[in-house]
Amino acid sequence: MPFTILTGGSFTSTGAGVKINLPSSADYFKTWNITQLTATNPNTVVHGEWFGSLFGSGATAQGGGIKTVKTTGMLESAFAANTGFTYVTVNPLVEAQAPNAITAITNASPAVVTQTNTYSENDVVYLYNTTGMLQIAGMPFQLSSVSGSGYTLIGLRAAGFATAATGGFTRRVSTFNAVEPEFLYITEITQATQAVVRTSVDPTNHYVVGMKIHFSVPQSLGMIQMNGLTGKIVAVSSANYTVTVDIDSTNFTAFAFPASTASPTAQLFATYAPAGASTQFNPVTLVQTGYDFQKQPFRTGQFTPYMFLAGGAQSPAGAASDVINWMAYKLETS
Amino acid sequence: MSFQSGITNIQNMAPELPVQASEDLLSTPMFNLIHSFGVDLHHAESYVGKTTRMSRFERLSTDGGQLDGSGIDPAPEVPVRTDIDATMEIYAKTIVTNEQVVLWENSKTLTKFTALLGQWLREKEDLLMRDLFSSSVSYINATGGLNGDQPSSISLNDVNNIERILLNNDARSMLTSLEATLKFATGGVRDAFIALANTNLTADLQRVQGVLLKSAYPTQEGIRPEEYCSISRFRFFVSSKGAKTPGVSMLGNTVYTIPMYGLEAAAKIEQNNYTAVIGYRPPWVVSAVAQNSQLYAKFAIARAITNQNWISGLNVTTFTPS
Repeated sequence: MPFTILTGGSFTSTGAGVKINLPSSADYFKTWNITQLTATNPNTVVHGEWFGSLFGSGATAQGGGIKTVKTTGMLESAFAANTGFTYVTVNPLVEAQAPNAITAITNASPAVVTQTNTYSENDVVYLYNTTGMLQIAGMPFQLSSVSGSGYTLIGLRAAGFATAATGGFTRRVSTFNAVEPEFLYITEITQATQAVVRTSVDPTNHYVVGMKIHFSVPQSLGMIQMNGLTGKIVAVSSANYTVTVDIDSTNFTAFAFPASTASPTAQLFATYAPAGASTQFNPVTLVQTGYDFQKQPFRTGQFTPYMFLAGGAQSPAGAASDVINWMAYKLETS
Repeated sequence: MSFQSGITNIQNMAPELPVQASEDLLSTPMFNLIHSFGVDLHHAESYVGKTTRMSRFERLSTDGGQLDGSGIDPAPEVPVRTDIDATMEIYAKTIVTNEQVVLWENSKTLTKFTALLGQWLREKEDLLMRDLFSSSVSYINATGGLNGDQPSSISLNDVNNIERILLNNDARSMLTSLEATLKFATGGVRDAFIALANTNLTADLQRVQGVLLKSAYPTQEGIRPEEYCSISRFRFFVSSKGAKTPGVSMLGNTVYTIPMYGLEAAAKIEQNNYTAVIGYRPPWVVSAVAQNSQLYAKFAIARAITNQNWISGLNVTTFTPS
């Protein structure tokens, strides 16, 4: 019995990449695009295969694999780089891949990145080794409005930056850290009776109203009075990547990134981290506030191991509305 | 050279058995288990849900309070309770062994495999606590090092900055002081907070101004082998599995995370009767022809940062890129 099926399943593609949690390490993985199998000359991937490290020199490179493209016949070849399977087993969750070069980041609000890429909506990437904009080099950002030539960083309002970035690299990481709730990188704090705090990723994936957060704001980012304070979240926004907290920052000094030229000696970054919650049940109004069993407790964030399937017509996760069947196998040999 | 014929030697009479097992097994490599140092241990009861709540009452305000003689009472204050919740999770590992392995292996296979599972249990638990520290705590980028990266390599200023943060937040030190003695090249060690670092940082730790390597402590009694040095108010423990994220510094180098904390900063919650379960399923249960048996290990754990005021830490890179 050389192979055992670990698990399998099916999903309807959105066109974006898909993560599939695996209850055990896998040695072989395959997908079938059920929708495109019945189409006439669709010129899309209908079958994908991945081979684990037990296959030695036949193992699949990260982001790769073997694909079968249906045209008038079945054409088998390797996936183009980073368009196939990526198997992730360990934390921290950098999804192994070659660094991807960017050509520009605008100093606009929000900032827009120009880059030939295969990323999906809401992917998280680390920006590093930038030319200019060193004040954000080493920070992760969530992507939106993704196209093959670039994307928008809702979490970065860079209009106050002196210059645009003219180069750099990205590396995709898991959307969630190993443990949730996770600390988030702050890119903006308003001066208001209830401070509005913007982060580099969507905070609604990690925090809900009622949770408390603890601030770490180095002096180089201006609003030093916020450093060490703990506030309660009173509102969250997915559209703006913001949380509103019950801290009056009206008279605090303004939050501002240091100049790019101040790196690497300017202290970075400003962050906030989970500090519990003050939940209340009002027996008079019978209203429970501030508790969400899905978001508040400390728990595992990104399950490992998992298989990342790149999205799109030439990738295993398929194009929007495609039905994908998948199977994971364990090879019982050594 | 002449040859004498008729001698029985190992060329014409090879040993019947080509190998023999040495009397002792060699050591199975195990990394330093440092990530549960100093965390509080809590226990969860059975039959009351999988989420454990730890609660703390926050300090009352010390503003005002003086009575002016008018007879008007001071305004009452509603105490604030902070709840820290953690969800219990179960992890397991199994080894399925064919009877032929048991039959022909030199010595007690199942006993060895049981020991392996026990080691896995402690190692997995350590990594889970590491992940808690690396995911849910705010870290400050080191900037005092001279490698030109952001974060930089570690320096005394960076370490002192974290001490200042912890002291400003009223954190309590974890380890008691080691009183100086009249021994050459040793020095006293102050009461200290704990710092956990990757072994790749040991070369840089030795370069930090004022570092006191473990060998220079006034006593070695009770000092754990995982401890490496003392810098300022921190005692550093190292592990090859200390947290790191490859390729994400300003210059694209590996960033190492050093959690630095005092008392009651984090907690590990064990499930009563499920802390460490190691079991055996005999061949007649596992296999239709009674040829495979199974060993397994399971444990339940929940983890939480219980007070962000009392934990901080550094992101650093190595002086020589790694």
